[in-house]
Amino acid sequence: MFRKHWISAIASTAAMAAMIAIMTAPIQAGTFGTVVAIGGEASDIALDPARGVLYIANFTANQIDVMTLSNNTIQTSINVPNQPSSISVSPDAHWLLVANYGANTTGSATNALTLIDLTNNNAKQTFTLSNSPLSVAFGFDNKALVVTTQEFIIFDPTTGTTTLLKTIPQVTTLAIPQPPATFPGSFTQATATVSADGFTIAGMGGTGNAVLEYRFKPGTHGLSAVTYTAAPPPGPSVVSLSSDGSLATFFWGVQDANFNTIAQFSNIAGLFNVGSTLIDSSRNLIYAQIPPAGTSATVNTNPPILNIVDSDNLTLEDQIQLPENLAGKSILSADNNTMYSISDSGVMVLPVGNLAAYPRLSSSTEDLVFLGNFCTRTALTQTFTISDPGGNHTPFSVSTTTAGITISPSSGVTPANVTVSVDPNAFAASKGTVAAYLIIGSSSAIDLPPTVRVLINSQDPAQRGTIVNVPGKVVDVLADPQRNVYYVLRQDKNQVLVYNGSNNTLTATLRTCTTPKGMAITFDQQDLLVGCDNSHYMSVFDLDLLTAQQPIYVADYVQSVASSANATLVHVRPAGSNNPGIGKVDLAARTVTQLPALGVYQNSLPVDTVLTSSSNGGSILVASSNGAVMLYDANSGTFTASRHDFNALSGAYAASNFDQYVVGTNFLDPSLVPKGTILSGATTSSGFSFVNQAGYYTSGNTSANPGTIEQVNLTTGNAIQPTATVEAPMLAGTAATTSTTTTGATTAQNITSSVSVTSGFTRTLAPLPSQTSLIVLSTSGFTVLPWTYAASVAPPVINAIVSAADNKSAAAPGGLISLYGANLSPTNLATSQIPVPTALANSCITVNGQPIPLIFVSPGQVNAQMPFQAVGAETVVVHTPGGTSDNFNLIVQPTAPAVFLSGVAGPANNLPTVIRASNGLLATDSNPIHQSDVLVIYLTGLGQTNPSGVTGYPGPGSPLSRALIAPTVSLGGMNLTVLYAGLAPGEVGVNQINVAVPGNAPPGLNQPLTINQGAATITVSMRVIP
Amino acid sequence: MKIVQMLLISSAVLAPSAMAQRWEVGAGVGGGFYTSQDVTSSAGSASAKLQTGLAGGVWLGNNTQGHWSGELRYEYQMGDFALSSGGTTATFGAHTQQFHYDVMWHATPSESRIRPYVAAGAGIKLYQGTGAQVAYQPLSNFALLTQQQDLTMLVSAGAGVKFQISSHVQLRLDVHDYLTPFPKTVITPNVGAKVGGWLQDFVPMVGISYTN
Repeated sequence: MFRKHWISAIASTAAMAAMIAIMTAPIQAGTFGTVVAIGGEASDIALDPARGVLYIANFTANQIDVMTLSNNTIQTSINVPNQPSSISVSPDAHWLLVANYGANTTGSATNALTLIDLTNNNAKQTFTLSNSPLSVAFGFDNKALVVTTQEFIIFDPTTGTTTLLKTIPQVTTLAIPQPPATFPGSFTQATATVSADGFTIAGMGGTGNAVLEYRFKPGTHGLSAVTYTAAPPPGPSVVSLSSDGSLATFFWGVQDANFNTIAQFSNIAGLFNVGSTLIDSSRNLIYAQIPPAGTSATVNTNPPILNIVDSDNLTLEDQIQLPENLAGKSILSADNNTMYSISDSGVMVLPVGNLAAYPRLSSSTEDLVFLGNFCTRTALTQTFTISDPGGNHTPFSVSTTTAGITISPSSGVTPANVTVSVDPNAFAASKGTVAAYLIIGSSSAIDLPPTVRVLINSQDPAQRGTIVNVPGKVVDVLADPQRNVYYVLRQDKNQVLVYNGSNNTLTATLRTCTTPKGMAITFDQQDLLVGCDNSHYMSVFDLDLLTAQQPIYVADYVQSVASSANATLVHVRPAGSNNPGIGKVDLAARTVTQLPALGVYQNSLPVDTVLTSSSNGGSILVASSNGAVMLYDANSGTFTASRHDFNALSGAYAASNFDQYVVGTNFLDPSLVPKGTILSGATTSSGFSFVNQAGYYTSGNTSANPGTIEQVNLTTGNAIQPTATVEAPMLAGTAATTSTTTTGATTAQNITSSVSVTSGFTRTLAPLPSQTSLIVLSTSGFTVLPWTYAASVAPPVINAIVSAADNKSAAAPGGLISLYGANLSPTNLATSQIPVPTALANSCITVNGQPIPLIFVSPGQVNAQMPFQAVGAETVVVHTPGGTSDNFNLIVQPTAPAVFLSGVAGPANNLPTVIRASNGLLATDSNPIHQSDVLVIYLTGLGQTNPSGVTGYPGPGSPLSRALIAPTVSLGGMNLTVLYAGLAPGEVGVNQINVAVPGNAPPGLNQPLTINQGAATITVSMRVIP
Repeated sequence: MKIVQMLLISSAVLAPSAMAQRWEVGAGVGGGFYTSQDVTSSAGSASAKLQTGLAGGVWLGNNTQGHWSGELRYEYQMGDFALSSGGTTATFGAHTQQFHYDVMWHATPSESRIRPYVAAGAGIKLYQGTGAQVAYQPLSNFALLTQQQDLTMLVSAGAGVKFQISSHVQLRLDVHDYLTPFPKTVITPNVGAKVGGWLQDFVPMVGISYTN
């Protein structure tokens, strides 16, 4: 079958070196890895640690380039027959075996193996093969597995003999020649690798979407192989094995020893010549460049990024910028510190064990949450730390495109504390949570610096709930009926977050399969099941122990899961199956079987289909984005209803114990006949949950606006006490898109990658069984609503607004006012805070939409400061947890002086606050004004000043803010000399007038002290004595 | 200034009658005991007066005939303004000064060692509030105790006895009753309150006189 064909190796090293363009690509600033260009297209690489070299199969130059590891330069090249496509070094470092792809012609002399004796001056022997070889790999026994287009062969280099192991169906490859810009990986998609222990060889080959995968055990000659039709195509052409061979990466998936996909990357291009993967068992990591969908095979449209992910579920740990694309096989040095990868120019050397020495950036937080208040417009600040994980001093910059956010410093060197300030005025209009982003950049960091999400909430007092921040993407929530905990599914980190139902603190984090989409608690309430979009395994957790259990294998990808009293059902997008559909879980066998039919109905449903069960396990509701609904009845053990009354469905979905169902805003009866709709709420349905015979419903308009929660009359659909929530519930994103699946007639299994499948259905509401709280997935993570969220006080009512000084004068700019009414605040509270806050005891007041400083609040009275800018017709509104008052229209006079009648002398009160400068005491009948006294009159309402007063801040001491309109003062009809009139220094909203009393001021018990300013006049009576 | 002028005028009027006579000059100490007046208002009434206080005085007299003489007296009394009602008392620091001329009739001739006498006269009295004004004074709804002064007319009546203890020295024991109109300027009835009448000030005193 094989015939030897010796090809002399002309290995004049010096001459060859002169012929080969050897260059080391300049390393781009901020990238990781050294590019060694070979002047051709590399198809395979093999390490020879004993000689300190890396062999590079130069597919187009028909040579093996030998790179010295110590300096990453190509010292020599070994000429070989045409198209060396695969190479391997024997473990004893004696042999270098080369597969010559040749002309792909049976019997061709170039369909051959070239065996190079590394111990004998690189002496070569050629062994002709019947079929074109795809790959070669030595096992621990120093014998090579050779895979051709039609057979597996064992090749013994010592004897030069070949042994047929097994034939396989024809694996097609591309014939030579091919159009320009066809890369080695595209010719055969062939590659093979061996585990570090030498006991496992794995490889792949094929063309287009068809791929052959195989595993070989050299010790037992055990061989297993499968063929797939993969969509997108199975690129990059790379296989990697864990050190013991138990785990393998094939193109864009991670498989176990049985070829079952444990995890796979999503949103991928499937290019054969772009990307690579490598398992680092010493760190439980995978280094992977998986180009995203849309990446061109030839035009470098996306910057090359090496993802560092966890090897079990591909959770992203870091993203490293590469100088150019990887292009196939990667191997790891024996000390696990250096990764060698085929790349566009030849080979890239990546010192992955020394990442700490390279500049990188990390942030101390994923989210910065600014919990402001619609009524509070003072700047909010928070600080986070940018550091280098390796402790380096790495330059960075921070920026944002969102107005209203300032960053200080905006650049620097790690480690550094960065302060982020938010101007609430810029976000006050939304009242919900606005998401902005801090872009962290660096001129030298090799990783993609993290992006920090800035969440700015401007809660109106009437909005309910407490935000609990969960960074990333949360997609599902379930309350545990037994344990007073609830589970939040964080998709981007592949986690179930377990929260304590009493205090809403995170108590445990469970690692799930890749891209979790939905959860269900088994009917016995012992296990939590998690279905994943990028794994053939469902995660199972013991809820008593909060530990992972043996996962459940699914031939497809679970989109939704629900448990009834007698069955646990999943809905899947297909891989092994032909159609998206419903499968039944065998919890004991840990398997899922797709149902041949759903009762009398076909088992073919859109990918965007969700399942949910009633809490008593009596039924499972099935809702599809195409508007179809079905019902699984646990009692009869089959699907008893199926209707298609809607053109499309999305949003909330729920099943009750009382034969009622909700999908979106639609009520369905036990036969799934539409019986009504929810008549209120925001535009987009988000969550619904039945509690006994009542229903709770959440909805929202946009993620930046408040949401709405309400109880729903299940008969009429009318809302009961609709209440605004602090932020919007999680809303479905874009309409669901489905990944297409191509099923090959001869394949054993299909593999499809998800392309950002976003469901239009949302389960965002979880009432806790203790009936203490309702958990709502929301913009910032989730919102905790008290069970009595609707037990609110009545909305506020404004009856009158007058000067706070005398309770009768008009309001003036910058003056203190008193609002009288009802339900103005849930409690009494005063403040001495400076600047005066615009929110007090969950109440605030707006004047023409602008919050004003509040000094005192109570149910019947609020004291506040009128803004200095407020003159003329103003609209005053009170906001409280009970709601918002009707508009109160008010004319604010330019001036309205009013002496504070707040003086107290013994039991006497409501005395004018006129102070005798001579003794600093309140002028009263027993401390009367004397002739020639100097008096200080405290009042409010002198209006605008120069310099202008600042609302909420004390009057300045220097320079003094004098009243723009000067007042005149008389006592007993005699004009007094006004020494000063303006803001009282150190006081908010308070004016003072200093006057000199003439020596002939008329004495008397009740002399009128009169202040005239503009059109306003105010008089108080004072006792004057000589 | 006005008060001083009045005192000087009074002295000038009375002094000529004592010229070319046997002169007596002396000084004494004692105490002042006031009666009170009710300040009434719709809320009730309060008792207003000056509190008992130390008194001191000087006099200059002459003996014209065997039983008659005249005497010019100045007295200073300490005594706070006081207002009392319902167990509450408000006080205000004050003192008074009074200047008056008394005509005296002695029961024994001038050469007698013991000379009882009676006296009557008139003059002026200055009430002066000296306390610290405070924003609140108790019972201010009745009257306001004020840091002012009030000059009033004074009527004097008294009796005493002189003991000749040496050729030129006499020991005097006497008591006077001084009557003035109620000093409304310093104890000012508040709005709606009324007070009137006279204040009596009984001043017993012991003194030493020098005679030529």
